[in-house]
Amino acid sequence: MSVGIGSSDPGGPAAVAQPHEEMLAVHDVVKRYGPVTALRGVSLSLRKSEVLALIGDNGAGKSTLVSIIAGLSKPDSGEVLVAGKAFTSSPHAARSAGIETVFQNLMLVPTLDIAQNVFLGRELYQGGPVGRLLRNVNNRRMRREVEEAFASLGLNLPPVTAKAGALSGGQRQAVAIARAVIWGSKIVVMDEPLAALGVQQTEAVLGLVEGLRDHGIATLLVTHNMQHVLRVANRVAVLRLGQKVADVDLVEHHLTGMQLVGLITGELTQDEL
Amino acid sequence: MALSSKATHQKTQFAISLRRLGQAQGGGLFVALVGLGCYFTVASPAFLTRSNLTVVLLQVSILGMVAVPGAMLLVSGGLDLSVGSVAGLSAASFGEFSQIFHLPLGWSIILALAVGATWGLCNGILIAYLRCSPVIVTLGGYAGAAGVAQFITSDNTRYNFGNAFAVLGNGEVGGLPVPVIIFLFVFVVGLYVWYRTPVGRHLISIGSNREAAKAVGVAVIRLPFIVYILSGMAAAAGGLILTSQLDAASVQIGQGLELQVLTAILLGGVAFNGGRGSLWGTLAGILFIGVLDNGLVLINVGPYVASMCVGGALVVAAVLDVVYQHLERVPVRAPEALVKLKGDISQGDVPGAVSVG
Repeated sequence: MSVGIGSSDPGGPAAVAQPHEEMLAVHDVVKRYGPVTALRGVSLSLRKSEVLALIGDNGAGKSTLVSIIAGLSKPDSGEVLVAGKAFTSSPHAARSAGIETVFQNLMLVPTLDIAQNVFLGRELYQGGPVGRLLRNVNNRRMRREVEEAFASLGLNLPPVTAKAGALSGGQRQAVAIARAVIWGSKIVVMDEPLAALGVQQTEAVLGLVEGLRDHGIATLLVTHNMQHVLRVANRVAVLRLGQKVADVDLVEHHLTGMQLVGLITGELTQDEL
Repeated sequence: MALSSKATHQKTQFAISLRRLGQAQGGGLFVALVGLGCYFTVASPAFLTRSNLTVVLLQVSILGMVAVPGAMLLVSGGLDLSVGSVAGLSAASFGEFSQIFHLPLGWSIILALAVGATWGLCNGILIAYLRCSPVIVTLGGYAGAAGVAQFITSDNTRYNFGNAFAVLGNGEVGGLPVPVIIFLFVFVVGLYVWYRTPVGRHLISIGSNREAAKAVGVAVIRLPFIVYILSGMAAAAGGLILTSQLDAASVQIGQGLELQVLTAILLGGVAFNGGRGSLWGTLAGILFIGVLDNGLVLINVGPYVASMCVGGALVVAAVLDVVYQHLERVPVRAPEALVKLKGDISQGDVPGAVSVG
């Protein structure tokens, strides 16, 4: 797979035309917290160049599923496969496998600058065996790579030496998404990325999601907003009380916001569509 | 539009310079340090001499070597209040190893360092792995280590460790006292680790947003754990140097060290709750205390004034900390719109762009 910010990957329709390559497969995942069963055997598949929206009411198990995919918690049974391979439940393993998660609370360190945040935990070292051995970081190269990535994504952000704590919600979102793209992730999981954003910023982030799709990246978008689902998603999966109750291709079926709400509340089933 | 964007850009630069200024509390302290130095130079001809400046360094060397891991702990949201008592315990253990067990000098030193490291290890297990409160655990260590020291020595002080051991505290190499050389070595290694390896930013990230640090794979448990061990070892080294200087292994050694260290680190601008701070600032804090103590003695002002000055400086540091936190909340604006998406990302063939597979 050649996904590069500046590569000559055909964007848009061409990339969407071959969506069958499965990037992420969740098989029959069960997760219990004490007496509470948060997930009762959920299966999900995410294909290349696809935006899969994951919707459901509070307590449906969306966040639990996201934390399992992100490697932050371990399923009691079932497995998560990335390109056919299982990975151990750790944030590091998930990232190495190509899953980048943009969390609800954004997960940036406010007292570090933008470049340091983007490369946190995966710093680049000075060239040569000595630089690597002494773990000598290459700040200049990290800053330059972040600047180039922002430019190629068309992001207009403060200097990369600005502290993340000084950024607005939309800016932080953009940094978190850019981090996913810079790291060449194959799968981006976004947990409520638009929850606290203004209109203009929401528009910009939705544009970024479409950009991810055009890069051949598979995106799992957790959201409460049905308009956003209809705007950017190719497919929608609905969770209710820890089970998947619907999985609808939005390219084939043209759903309305009301129908989505019906699926969430259980007034409507997939067969009735 | 180009004009207005230039103006906003200048404003952004201004906001960032303001923030840098706030950030550089250590830098501000260096300015105060130079001012203090000038004053003492004018007030006393003895101040700005090579021998006196060496004395200043010698006086802060133990404080300084313990403050390096101390600053790393504080910035990561940890704290070690047990360093003074651990220094005393290591000194007392050295006395026992050397004079009761009659172990060779080298072994006594290694075992005394191991005592400090072990205490640090226990702190690390309790705080980093079991998530106990660092204040409570190391306050316990503060009382506990002193008690253990008194218990194993039956409150006896051992003397006469010989000339070879005296070199550690009183020897000179190339005109510099051995403790100063050890301090400078520890500090330079600390600077490298803090600024040139990922460790510094990882420690800051742990103190600032532990969840985020954990999510990106920062060793949020192992890293502080290792620094607690280093802190115990640094305290033990300090205890041994004091023992050598006094030629006496007393349980009194290191008393009050923990508060001196904490004062220097806080003066240097490390936030008490972690997440912010620098090792250069810590050096400024260490030297500020050293120069103040030394200079006031030279101009015949009592030690009370030194305490008052350090107290006053701490209050100023606390105020600056609030100002800095306020500055940090002022949002930085990008030149134009906050986030703007280019029409078609895939068309942008930017030279040297990250290409990944």
